[in-house]
Amino acid sequence: MRAQLSLILLAFSAAVCAEPVRTPHVEAELLAPRTAIEPGKPLVVALRLKIAPNWHTYWRNPGDSGEPTRITWKLPPGYSAGAIQWPVPERLPAGPLTNFGYKNEVLLLTDVAVPQGASGPVTLAARADWLVCNPERCIPEGADLAITFSGNANGRTAWAEAIERAQALLPRKAAEVGPWRFDARGAAGAVVLDIVPPAGIRLASPVYFPYEEGRIDNSAAQPVERAGDAYRLTIPASRQPVGAFTRVAGLLAVAQPLDAQGRRAVEFSVPVTGLVGPAAAAPPAPESAPLGLAMALAFAFLGGLILNLMPCVLPVLSIKVLGFVSNANQGAAQRRLQGALFAAGVVGSFLLLAAVLIALKAGGTALGWGYQLQSPLFVSVLALFFFALALNLSGVFEFGNVLPASLSGARVSSPRIDALLSGALAVFVASPCTAPFMGAALGFAFSQSVPVTMLIFTALGLGMAAPYALLAWNPRWLGSAPAPGPWMTRLKQFLAFPLYATVIWLAWVLGTQSGLDAVIALLAALLALAVTAWLAGLATRRKLAVRAIATAFALAAAALAVHAARAPAPGTPAISSAESAAAAWQPYTRHRLAELTAAGTPVFVDFTAAWCVTCQVNKQLVLTRPDVERAFTDRGVARLRADWTRRDDEITRALAELGRNGVPVYALYLPGRSVRLLPEILTRETVLAALAEIGHPKSIANLKRKEAP
Amino acid sequence: MKRTMQTILLTLVLAAFSVAAATVGQPAPGFTLKDVSGKPVELSEFKGRYVVLEWVNPECPYVQKHYDSANMQRLQKEFTGKNVAWLAINSTNPRAYDYKTPAQMQAWMKQMNGAVTATLLDESGQVGQTYGARVTPHMYIIDPKGTLIYAGAIDDRRSTRLEDVKTAKNYVHVAMGEALAGKPVSTSSTTPYGCTVKY
Repeated sequence: MRAQLSLILLAFSAAVCAEPVRTPHVEAELLAPRTAIEPGKPLVVALRLKIAPNWHTYWRNPGDSGEPTRITWKLPPGYSAGAIQWPVPERLPAGPLTNFGYKNEVLLLTDVAVPQGASGPVTLAARADWLVCNPERCIPEGADLAITFSGNANGRTAWAEAIERAQALLPRKAAEVGPWRFDARGAAGAVVLDIVPPAGIRLASPVYFPYEEGRIDNSAAQPVERAGDAYRLTIPASRQPVGAFTRVAGLLAVAQPLDAQGRRAVEFSVPVTGLVGPAAAAPPAPESAPLGLAMALAFAFLGGLILNLMPCVLPVLSIKVLGFVSNANQGAAQRRLQGALFAAGVVGSFLLLAAVLIALKAGGTALGWGYQLQSPLFVSVLALFFFALALNLSGVFEFGNVLPASLSGARVSSPRIDALLSGALAVFVASPCTAPFMGAALGFAFSQSVPVTMLIFTALGLGMAAPYALLAWNPRWLGSAPAPGPWMTRLKQFLAFPLYATVIWLAWVLGTQSGLDAVIALLAALLALAVTAWLAGLATRRKLAVRAIATAFALAAAALAVHAARAPAPGTPAISSAESAAAAWQPYTRHRLAELTAAGTPVFVDFTAAWCVTCQVNKQLVLTRPDVERAFTDRGVARLRADWTRRDDEITRALAELGRNGVPVYALYLPGRSVRLLPEILTRETVLAALAEIGHPKSIANLKRKEAP
Repeated sequence: MKRTMQTILLTLVLAAFSVAAATVGQPAPGFTLKDVSGKPVELSEFKGRYVVLEWVNPECPYVQKHYDSANMQRLQKEFTGKNVAWLAINSTNPRAYDYKTPAQMQAWMKQMNGAVTATLLDESGQVGQTYGARVTPHMYIIDPKGTLIYAGAIDDRRSTRLEDVKTAKNYVHVAMGEALAGKPVSTSSTTPYGCTVKY
């Protein structure tokens, strides 16, 4: 039979012959780099699977389901084949489950030992069986394959390069590559793997692929912490383990090449010291039933609506609404058009923001809502902007005096562009605020496909634009507005003060990000801006000198602002608030949280940022209240503060695991229970009620002490 | 008004809580599901009896292996004959291509000569996810006290070849045999194999 097969194959080919076999979803063939065998020299043979788009085959450990590809060799006497040398797989999520496998094309290499006395044409045959799946269905397929080496010329085949490349990319044992160090120890619901790569090697998004099945939670993110040259990977254990998790053995794969060859994984094996604790105390599982789309859209709309009431937006929009009173004689059609354009500006800006977030996320940057404020430059620019707006409201200058005549002319002559731009402006000033309902909606948005994300951002924008657009449609809904008069100027001037307050707060944010020097530079920039504005207010068009000085101060303001943003970020916040210095709150790390929950301690985590107004309000009005603080202490609740003021991938990931994408988030971990999220707007009652569930361990202890003789 | 909104929000947050996966040695999570005729079936109805849960999807080649070889039906007959309740559960999402309506499930089970106590539909996937069912077939055994005593594969031969059922070690058969004989289950957790459950 085998001889017949080789004869048939020989008839078709002079050198090396392998006919690809087509199954419904795969094209399979055996390939070799050389056209002839060399007696006594091992030969590498590749099983090439060309997989239909969207379908995949499996790695040696297929993950939550599936089956690895198998090769059964039928070799002439004296020949023997080794095991499949598996290339680095991909994680392939399928709903709540995850598989490990390959898409598009994979070369599965096998070393074949050729006997000393081998000669003449030879055919190596194999039966290959694979399971090929797409997200919907799985098909077991297979093929009988053969490759014939015709003997004489020892030339290279067309596949030589691809096979050599695949060989070069195969993961090597860590010990053979360099001084890698791995240490693994059991924790609550996870194994903590400490990795020290050889000097000079950085690990980009490391992921552990286990050889053994049933030990790890295949779908869970493996959070990584970095400290200098060392990395700590937390590998969540399977909630239904099959056997003990006693060894971490498999591949450590990374996103960036580890060596000049382009390898992206090392193979390693290390015993786990200590025990993997029960998964009940494990890091929080993502909420299993997040919002549905309809609910998320409703939440986004409601959140956008409430954004209007946030302290960063209210003054700006109040001025816009004042416009209705002053322009009472304006035509209704004109006013309605402006309302619609304002809405378009808001929605457009939200969509732009979403697009930027999606693009950055696709690039692997961990970001969330309000991420702009993690940039000191953005904070400085925002401060300057609010300050200029406030000076304008105070009556120091009019915008028409500052902008070049042509531009300000355009602004007046085109109220449409003005309306569009004020929509964008409203979103710009709203960025530090998270309204209630928004958190859940945005968290949902970023766990969905791009169109859904865009849809939710649209709902958010519509919600935010709704009140203004409706009032533009019919200003009478405002109620009986008083007649225009001097009160309007006074109200306008008064509205400057919340904006000055906002500037103070932004200066504080910059202080926590970049330190005192940055704040001083910002204040100097504000001074220069004030001088510019004052000069602009004085200036008549003809006085060139005054305009030149104004321009010089404006440039100085810009330079100082950039300087403020460039100030080196201190390791710890240079200006720390009194509360964070208080011993009651500890800084959040995933590790600390795992330790505390493992010890059965109730934990409250405050995900916050200096630039998040809602967070600061909650902190001042609720979390630092003496009775709330006492409730925390009495019930033995450990308090962790996750400060997102500056970019922090670990916190971003922790937020994502809670189904969120921005701050504030308040998470309460009670022993033996799943994590509980409190609302974004805290009240004393909600916090106390949540804490009341814990009971009163301390007072019980006190009682016992009293009873003792 | 404010209070009402807070209450609504809190309720929603609470509703979003995740449920811990079923664990061998722990009480099996209770559930109520509709069977193929629309009748609600509650796990607690079977208290005092052994219960086998079989995750099923007729379109899955691994499920077909055990039904086309009559392996699954043999197991069902043997143990339902010994007062064991056998519940076949389909957790396929109605949006998946291989979703089967209750009527289709009923017809299929009849055509296959299945000997199950009930065929249940878990279209939301909630029960499947609570039990951590990852594949079809994924098998679970619950003892008369309601404790989960086995979770995992049907046998030790990960393949779609019908002939493999003859030589495979059938974990469910072994575990049920041990349990009915009053012995502890020797292999209580195994790696299940099969098709991904289409949640």
